Amino acid sequence: MTARMRRISLLVVAVVAVVWPALLSDFSRSLATDGLIFGLIVLSLVLLTGFVGQISFCQYSFAAVGAFTVGSLVSAHHWSFWLAMPLGVFGAALVGALVGIPALRLSGLFLTILTVAVALFFDRFVLASGTWNSFSGGLSSWVVGRPAFLGIRLDTSYRFYLFVLGVFSLCSLLVWNFRRGKTGRVLRAIRDAEVAASTLGINLTAWKLAAFATSAALAGLAGALLAVSIGSVSTGGYDLIHSLGVAAVATVMGVNSVASAAAGGLFLVFGPEILRHLGVSSQWFNLITGGLLIVQLIVTPDGMVTDTQQKIRHLLRHRAAKRASETPAEIDLVSANGQTAGAPAPAARPVRTGGQR
Amino acid sequence: MGALAFNSHLIPGFTVIGIVLGGVYALAAVGLVLIYRVSGVLNFAHGAVAMFATFTAYEVSTVKGAPGWMGALVAIAVGAALGFAIEWLTIRPLHGRPPLVKVVVTIGWLLVLQTAAGLIWGATAYHQPVHLVSRDGFHLPGANVTVGYDQLTTVIVALVFALAVAALLRYTTLGNAMRAVADNPDTARLWGISVNRVTAASWMVGSAMAAVAGVLITPLIAFDTFSLTVVVIYAFTAALIGRLSSLPMTVLGGFLLGLAQTYPRVFSSLSGTADLVTFALVLLTLGVLFRPGGRKVRVV
Repeated sequence: MTARMRRISLLVVAVVAVVWPALLSDFSRSLATDGLIFGLIVLSLVLLTGFVGQISFCQYSFAAVGAFTVGSLVSAHHWSFWLAMPLGVFGAALVGALVGIPALRLSGLFLTILTVAVALFFDRFVLASGTWNSFSGGLSSWVVGRPAFLGIRLDTSYRFYLFVLGVFSLCSLLVWNFRRGKTGRVLRAIRDAEVAASTLGINLTAWKLAAFATSAALAGLAGALLAVSIGSVSTGGYDLIHSLGVAAVATVMGVNSVASAAAGGLFLVFGPEILRHLGVSSQWFNLITGGLLIVQLIVTPDGMVTDTQQKIRHLLRHRAAKRASETPAEIDLVSANGQTAGAPAPAARPVRTGGQR
Repeated sequence: MGALAFNSHLIPGFTVIGIVLGGVYALAAVGLVLIYRVSGVLNFAHGAVAMFATFTAYEVSTVKGAPGWMGALVAIAVGAALGFAIEWLTIRPLHGRPPLVKVVVTIGWLLVLQTAAGLIWGATAYHQPVHLVSRDGFHLPGANVTVGYDQLTTVIVALVFALAVAALLRYTTLGNAMRAVADNPDTARLWGISVNRVTAASWMVGSAMAAVAGVLITPLIAFDTFSLTVVVIYAFTAALIGRLSSLPMTVLGGFLLGLAQTYPRVFSSLSGTADLVTFALVLLTLGVLFRPGGRKVRVV
């Protein structure tokens, strides 16, 4: 039941995601595109924080590696985007693994200090205007054109949106797949009980480094796409406050679910835009995000999207349980599972074990 | 890299600047350690609290023209009030939740305070510093350097405050209660200590120290909302050198960081060098002092 519901809702979301932007204005479409790109950064946090339990406040630094690689190579050295982008993603993954090395030895609290220090280091030193001058004659002249994909030029906003939507869907699918099978079990084990996981022969070092590298690669990919989407690269867009903001949004939406990546990305883009429409300065956005973060941590610990999903699931389960208690066949299944039949609460079990995963 | 040139005549002057910066970092770091030890929260909003309080001093002294000491008093009051608000409104309801959640809450406060200050006083504009004492100086005998009275005041105030906190912890009932809570909140409660009140007091004292540090640092750095907010990272670095527990080592760490940030400017004019040094120190302290299986962290 729930599996079919999920399939239907996914189909609806996919159709809406493809068709609706076609009806929007150019400007709204480019905002939606940026939303999906920011969604990739949120997705990188879903992978790192939600699945592996490691925290990072320097995702925009990883994104900057992707953006600056693409910006400098495409614009100043006339590389193709399709060569520069993988290099940027690889570079981000490498930096991510480097950040992951000290993270192996640190508990969560001290990891936060480390990642903030990394973000500040990138912000003030690596991305400082003086550092890149010698490489490509300053940033101001970096213009990144839209590439072609399979012979189709991505020059209209709708084509580029579809391309980004494809990339985002692929990455979401990839991350979503990490929850299943052996990978999912290993990641959950590391997140929930590190020591126990290592006694089972799980190589913590390799898995954690891989998680950091993959997460950074996702952020780097977002950076590379952002360079193309905006058409230029600037130092201001990848600073510490952005990293803190995206971590806040990811936490508010809930880091346990892939769906919150899309929600978080769109919120990051359309939030300031809605404020502007209401006649309020978009500067208020970070204040609202911070306030939401504080309230959310106290009120709904799992995040808004995750919380809503759980409520919907609970509702569906409740309805299914009601129906199940009316049909005797389901109750037989319960007793076969070794549960005590008769009470209404255990009757909910078969639906949960049979339907959900 | 920028211009690499060794200018040895700059060393005495940079020593003075480094010591003054170090005093401010030490002050902020002592407040940070106090909050961490008593409540177990790494307060990432420490710099933002300092920034917000400092901007109220700026409003009172520089904009409205009141004397500097009045601005400083306002900043201390605002800092303490913010510390109390953060603890009372958001840390206390999270009792029993993982420490990481409380850390993320302070990130939320960082965003709120940073943005609010940007909306009130302008996000990027340069602001006139708050001067507590005259900018005149005296010539230090034996070295070719002028020490400003404001610089001297900064170092003295920083040391006095650090000593005052040490005395508070050692000789007063409140200090004893703070140490008891830092050691073991449950046992402290059995002894009849109001853990909530003591924790709130530590947040207020710690945040007030951040406010003083913020006011003192304004003549030394480009004074805007962001540069003061990131002082928290420098405070963390100093606190890490003290293993987030030892106050004397934290003060030493502050001075070490101040000097380490300043001396590279003898060689390089690149603006980000200070943050390169900070980053290296963070990595070093985290790698060496916080290795797993190392010595257990000492109490205050």
